[in-house]
Amino acid sequence: MMNFELHKRKILTFILLLAFVWSLLPVDWDKGLLHAGGLAMAGQIFEAALHPDFSPDMIMLALESAWITLAYATAGMSLALVLAFFLGLLASGILAPGNKSRRWLKRIFRGVLSFMRAIHELVWALIFVASFGLTPYAAIFALAIPYGGMLGRIFAEMLEDVPAEPIQALKMTGASAWQCIFYGYLPIVRAGIISYSMYRFECSVRSSAIMSFIGLGGLGYQIQLSLDDLAYSQMWTFLFFLILLVVIIDGWSTLLRRRLGS
Amino acid sequence: MAQETMIELNRISKHYGRKIALSSLSFVINKGEHVAVIGPSGAGKTSMLNILASMLPADDGEILVDGKPLDSYCDRKSRAQKIGMVRQQFDLVPQLAVIHNVLAGRLSDWSLWKSVLSLLIPQDKGRAIEALDRVGLSDKVFERTSSLSGGEQQRVALARLLVQDPEIILADEPVASLDPARAEDILKMLTRIAAEENQTLVASLHSVDYALKYFSRVIALKDGKLFFDRPVSEVSDTLLAELYSLEGNSQK
Amino acid sequence: MRKMNFVTLSMMLFFLLFIGSWYFVIVAENASLSELFTEKNASHAAEFFKGLIGVGEDNNAFLSKTSWKQALGLTRETLQMSMMAIGFSTIVMFLTVIPAARNVADGTLTLSQKWHSWLSYGLIRASYVVSRAIPELVWAMIVIFIFKPGILPGAIALALHNFGILGKLCAEAIEDSDSRPVRNLAAAGASKTQILLYGVLPAVLPQFLTYILYRWEVIMRTTIVVGMVGAGGLGQQFKLNMSFFHYTEVSLLLVCYLILVFIADFISERSRSFVK
Ligand SMILES: Nc1ncnc2c1ncn2[C@@H]1O[C@H](COP(=O)(O)OP(=O)(O)O)[C@@H](O)[C@H]1O
Ligand SMILES: [Mg+2]
Repeated sequence: MMNFELHKRKILTFILLLAFVWSLLPVDWDKGLLHAGGLAMAGQIFEAALHPDFSPDMIMLALESAWITLAYATAGMSLALVLAFFLGLLASGILAPGNKSRRWLKRIFRGVLSFMRAIHELVWALIFVASFGLTPYAAIFALAIPYGGMLGRIFAEMLEDVPAEPIQALKMTGASAWQCIFYGYLPIVRAGIISYSMYRFECSVRSSAIMSFIGLGGLGYQIQLSLDDLAYSQMWTFLFFLILLVVIIDGWSTLLRRRLGS
Repeated sequence: MAQETMIELNRISKHYGRKIALSSLSFVINKGEHVAVIGPSGAGKTSMLNILASMLPADDGEILVDGKPLDSYCDRKSRAQKIGMVRQQFDLVPQLAVIHNVLAGRLSDWSLWKSVLSLLIPQDKGRAIEALDRVGLSDKVFERTSSLSGGEQQRVALARLLVQDPEIILADEPVASLDPARAEDILKMLTRIAAEENQTLVASLHSVDYALKYFSRVIALKDGKLFFDRPVSEVSDTLLAELYSLEGNSQK
Repeated sequence: MRKMNFVTLSMMLFFLLFIGSWYFVIVAENASLSELFTEKNASHAAEFFKGLIGVGEDNNAFLSKTSWKQALGLTRETLQMSMMAIGFSTIVMFLTVIPAARNVADGTLTLSQKWHSWLSYGLIRASYVVSRAIPELVWAMIVIFIFKPGILPGAIALALHNFGILGKLCAEAIEDSDSRPVRNLAAAGASKTQILLYGVLPAVLPQFLTYILYRWEVIMRTTIVVGMVGAGGLGQQFKLNMSFFHYTEVSLLLVCYLILVFIADFISERSRSFVK
């Protein structure tokens, strides 16, 4: 038994390796994997990274697109936070009066949250566009749902990890359930929530960029256009702006996390 | 002098699964009394206080508080006016400013709206500052609670009790995690406040010395039963030795 | 006090961003929320959802054997794509992660510093940033220019995005690792390779395994997206059926996709607790 415990990791690693080998089987390795001229194309694309198009017009367009991407991401995230707050609160079970109702509440809302995040934002976007047409709201809702699911789950977990003593003490002073939330739960999870939301905010910028795929503007849309025109140096301009945007938000969130000390 | 009964326990029992924590415990505490509850760890002190605070349901028996059954204080406001509690220092929310932890004592009086507003603009600020002044923390009003030392945090908890102003104070080992000097400081303050506000105080303590020094009556529990219940002057060393001895009626 | 200020400032900045974004969406993009819930849209949406569950469709994919066969085949392909992707990212991560750790670059971990350590540290970290910042879908759009269609370009696109994330996480795991065993080994006269093999890797590998499983979970969720630009798997067929309004096929594929995602979640969670 002891032996088995020791080798668990090796066993798992071996299984994962087998799975990887199995995944390679369907690829036809002999018949050439690249398009004719694919290598030359790759050369051109990556060579263009060295001289991106930084003409003033391009920069203006890239700035505008970056703003659109950021705006959709922020709007989506703000909705996601609202969703996560209420669903996470319900899924944590802290509002339930009894043990049995708590179990049910948790089970149901955890299910809801995991369904929300299981489906990729782009799939949500396609569904929304198919059902109410091409509007910015399709992208915003499509971002809000899976991100609400991810944030909500973490929020629920953090709420469940809140130590019992301060909450019991608040109840002893006569605090109601909602007063316990504002005076106990929320202050205790605040730092963790902010850190995690900032990390997700960075991801949401990337997700917002690919909303171009359903036809909305932003950096992704411009990248797609320049790829269609085979204008690789322009594509790299937009890619660099996307990278810059992500790096800025990443830096912001790292600083914030450090200040919050978590 | 006619004495009003404040707390009356009648054959209270509590068990966790097979484990008996309290068996048929009865006693009466009068208004304004300061009672220390002592006994070896596992004797049932915490269980008893939690039952009194209605944080834990009793399995059997009856409790009267101020002449009425404990269950009749079911709405949070009347219970908070009757009974307040301090335990070890983990009762505070470390992330909040000191003043909000103190003002939490007012929550039973406040609407949700007012309590949320208070987190931005402290309400009833005067009362909180007065309470902090009485526990000697008037210079830490807006500090983050987690930045305070253990003894200071316990004083914040006392300030919260002052603001809540219940008729009965239950204290479960309020000084267990403090060094002797801090511990005496807190106990002095606690008994002084209870005397000034004419409150009934029931405190469980780890140390017999503190019980004898700061309280007028001692209730000793052992294995969930009443071992003795007498005024401080009648507590003898032999009784104490027997209370804390390992053999004798130890648990099965 | 300064500590609090930065947090407050950040909150204010986010609030400004929030106002600006919604202002932009509502005013500049002229997107009205009320127009969203018109009767026309409602009936449109109802049509769509009815289509998804197969009301009024002649050939319901859930009842068709060929549809099922195709869907299951694609499900297997998608599973393989995700495994290939995490495999590629893991390989690249392992090849690059050691020089990418700060404590290796400055020599505190290996106790040997060379002039090129910082250079390779910088280059690899920069490649991680680029890899991470560009979403899978954009990588996929680029990769299908180069590779023939199939699950390989999909896996490569997923791997291109994930090696950066995996690399960053794992490099941080090395940075956080305890340096005492390493010092002991070094004191015992171990070479640099020996130090890495016996001092560093055993301590961080369990952490790596956790990260790999976690990223595999995320990759599974994203397979459908890279498929949409033609990189194989469920996504490609999903997009096709969507544009041909074959809605029951769409929901069949969605069901398969959801099952895959939930299975990946389950397996990854189980294996993580298995090795804990
Ligand atoms: N939640 C619980 N579950 C099971 N047993 C418990 C629980 N709480 C207390 N006990 C048991 O009940 C007995 C009394 O505990 P407690 O009231 O905490 O004693 P004291 O506070 O005097 O140390 C102990 O033997 C303890 O192990
Ligand atoms: Mg106790």
